[in-house]
Amino acid sequence: MTHAVLAVGLIGVSAWAVAVFPRSVLVFLLFQGSLLFAYVARIPSWLRVTLLGLALLVLMPTIGFFNGYYLEVATQVGIFVALALGLNIVVGLAGLLDLGYVAFFAVGAYSWAIPGSPQANLIFGGNAFPLSAWWFYAFLFVGLMVAAGAGILLGLPVLRLHGDYLAIVTLGFGEVIRVLANNLDKPINLTNGPKGITPIGRPPVPFGMPYSEAFYFLVLLIVAVVILVNRRLENSHIGRAWEAIREDELAAQAMGVPLVRSKLLAFACGASFAGVMGVVFSAKQIFINPESFTFLESIGVLAMVILGGMGSIPGAVLGATVVTVLNLQVLKGLSLWLNELKNAGVTVLGYNLADLPTQLEPAKYERMIFGVILILMMIFRPQGIFPVRRRARELAKQV
Amino acid sequence: MPARFEALGVTKRFGGLTALAAVDFALDTGISSIIGPNGAGKTTLFNIFTGLYGADEGRVTFRGQPLLGLRPDQITALGICRTFQNIRLFANMTAIENVLVGMNTRVALGLWDVLSHRRRFRRTEGELAARAVALLDRVGLQANANDVARNLPYGDQRRLELARALGSEPTLLLLDEPTAGMTQGEAGALMRLLRGLVAELGLAIILIEHNMRVVMEVSDRVAVLDHGEKIAEGPPREVQSNARVIEAYLGTRGSGPARTRRA
Amino acid sequence: MDYPLLLGIFPQVLLDGIILGFMYALIALGYTMVYGVLEFINFAHSEIFIVGAFVGVEILLSLRSAGVLDTLPWPLVLLFVLVAGMAISGALAVTVERIAYRPLRTAPRLIPLISAIGVSFFLQDLIRLVESIWRNAFNLVYPTMDQLNYRFELTETIDVPVKSLVVIAAALAMLWVLHVIVNRTTIGTAIRAVAEDQAAASLMGIDVNRIISLTFLIGGAMGGAAGVLFGVQYGLINPYSGFIPGLKAFTAAVLGGIGNIPGAMLGGLVLGLLEAFAASYLSLLTAGAFGAEYKDIFAFSILILILIFRPKGLLGEVVRGRA
Repeated sequence: MTHAVLAVGLIGVSAWAVAVFPRSVLVFLLFQGSLLFAYVARIPSWLRVTLLGLALLVLMPTIGFFNGYYLEVATQVGIFVALALGLNIVVGLAGLLDLGYVAFFAVGAYSWAIPGSPQANLIFGGNAFPLSAWWFYAFLFVGLMVAAGAGILLGLPVLRLHGDYLAIVTLGFGEVIRVLANNLDKPINLTNGPKGITPIGRPPVPFGMPYSEAFYFLVLLIVAVVILVNRRLENSHIGRAWEAIREDELAAQAMGVPLVRSKLLAFACGASFAGVMGVVFSAKQIFINPESFTFLESIGVLAMVILGGMGSIPGAVLGATVVTVLNLQVLKGLSLWLNELKNAGVTVLGYNLADLPTQLEPAKYERMIFGVILILMMIFRPQGIFPVRRRARELAKQV
Repeated sequence: MPARFEALGVTKRFGGLTALAAVDFALDTGISSIIGPNGAGKTTLFNIFTGLYGADEGRVTFRGQPLLGLRPDQITALGICRTFQNIRLFANMTAIENVLVGMNTRVALGLWDVLSHRRRFRRTEGELAARAVALLDRVGLQANANDVARNLPYGDQRRLELARALGSEPTLLLLDEPTAGMTQGEAGALMRLLRGLVAELGLAIILIEHNMRVVMEVSDRVAVLDHGEKIAEGPPREVQSNARVIEAYLGTRGSGPARTRRA
Repeated sequence: MDYPLLLGIFPQVLLDGIILGFMYALIALGYTMVYGVLEFINFAHSEIFIVGAFVGVEILLSLRSAGVLDTLPWPLVLLFVLVAGMAISGALAVTVERIAYRPLRTAPRLIPLISAIGVSFFLQDLIRLVESIWRNAFNLVYPTMDQLNYRFELTETIDVPVKSLVVIAAALAMLWVLHVIVNRTTIGTAIRAVAEDQAAASLMGIDVNRIISLTFLIGGAMGGAAGVLFGVQYGLINPYSGFIPGLKAFTAAVLGGIGNIPGAMLGGLVLGLLEAFAASYLSLLTAGAFGAEYKDIFAFSILILILIFRPKGLLGEVVRGRA
């Protein structure tokens, strides 16, 4: 009972606080924390669903009207949640360490960026492009299929490799995709190289909603579908076969699990989530270039999966949220705060902060965050914050 | 119609070492045991039968269908399944999930069935779970269905491996030292279980076993391997008194089955 | 096609390839030795390598600001810088193993690998943080030493700077020292024993933990030396510039047969030459359609192909091989 009161109270108070102090990062973090509390609190599940639904469908968009940046953060979180869930299938369930995962995100992004912008005219000639905005919705599926195809294409040659060799080869594949995106502006201009592609078409939006709100809802919808798909896969013979491969590849095969087909399916499923989000990402950003698809991003997504707990769906959601918020808000907030202190000429223990080196920008230390997460989790809690809970089955007199 | 399993002239070399030299083996139904000192090539033979290794020479057929060159999962789909000498359960999955993985080749659902979650999917999943529970019941693990495999005691893990193999609905079961680490009483119970399976389902079982009492009690036929060669085969009594078998065992005293293993 | 041009640049490209190859070989040794002993990819080795380069640049910059860089004899300066780079990189490698790998030695194989990736990223930003505070800059340029930049003109189109010769000589010296350590000393015997069979080695009275630390020390020191030479040769370094050479050096180790010390050297040279030729000739041969940018793709493709078709590499996957 106290939990229920606390959960309702926290969400209410923090949402109100965000409305009153729309610029305070700390208050927004409190709001996110209250959602996490509502998720873990011991409350009836109808209350949990109502609270989380209310927060995500009503409160968050409302907050977005007060401070658009928060909505942007929430949308980014959603994109990374989908990526983390995709990688979770490959790494967490099937136990295949993919270090080039962001390549599939890139494939999805470019598959809409090229026909959704005048870029395609450079390839096919004529004036047919950009495609009309409605095509965006069709390209969600195209992006899915293209990325899944890329997953199979990568999977076919590499699936015989074990553990760490597979990791290195996928890393190489990720780099190859990035270098290709960077250099395929000649002999035929496919990707426009490092300059990137712009302007990328955005989908038509109902009721004249602002784009930021529309993308938030679109991402939320896709995340919901991704979670549903993930759960269904996990609780089926397909998911069990993946886990069996992770646990003992040889025994799995001897028990009748077709290794190559199962692994390809894992790669394709994981890749397809990234592909769909790639399409959304390219439309949301209007502009993409290869810088968005570096090894750093792959490791970032890996850090999300590891932080939350390999194989765990709530873990992937939590990991993606924490890491994205750390990057977008905490580090940036720290940078801004430091600058304010500097400009105000604050001194700490006789040291004038204005004398701090100008190159010291906390916002740039993503790698350190990822690194610390990976090392600490591996040493102290390899199962993650929300470890997989084995599903206890109802075994009432079925016999 | 018995499921005839036949191996002819199976030869396997590892580098310069001949692990198996032209071994013949055949079985229709009932329980056949393969015995022999450590390193005689028994497990290697299993690995070839189940497709984990290729053979250098020879042929292996099951119901007339050649097995060599098939992948392990294809062989499992044909109705041959095995257990492992050094238990290889899916350690972080529950007992019932282990058995469900064993049923993988008998699930006729596609990706779309899983994603759409139609009634067919839910019904099939229900049936699978019911069958898995029945199998766990059969090996005496019904109370442990939701226990994570790695937390089960040793003997239970062996029984779970058996249930998992049975999940694939095999007509031929290959058991690699199923009683290792069990007490004489547990081993006896397991053998009664195997006998029951043969009588009820018409299963054929090939057994690798070091526990001589078990072998002599339960087997219809016994084959003896030594240094990769089959040196004797026949009913248990006959093999027991075979001069070459005695020589092979005495010659390798201390490593042979004369030393019955206990937990 | 411009055959005289293609032929004319050949010796220059060959030289570049050899230098690059030695660089890769030195870095690859760190990967291959650790893999030989622990069957583990020390993903952070690329940062251990680049730390050597930063130690070098810091010492040289300090000497310059003290105004003594051009008055001290250059071989002495270079030797000092090399030794310092090796010492700090070696010590760092040992520390990393102690903190981030040793507690995970019995865990499933992917666990220490993920930890190593974490260390790699952490070190990159740690270098950046330290340099940003200390020097307010993290893209650093090696100070030039006049004698090192002197160029011998072999022909009209080809000249060889002294520093390239020094880099080659130093790399050869390092490889020779390693050869002696691995094959002629008791430490080397112990390392090979641990690589062969840890349990047996420990029964023979070998302190396995100490030998593993030593392996990291030696591999790290080689990486540190490579870092200093990398800085001297190419000039510009930043905290992230170790990553790609590290990945290439790993490719070299795999190419030669991971765990195999002579293989790492051979793989390094082969990869260095291939890459140098790809970088110079690809653009000429395809009339500009594909340029030097594809040299990375070239290297990664070799890695992928080798792993798929000949995972044991050119010389096979052994550690006990003689250097």
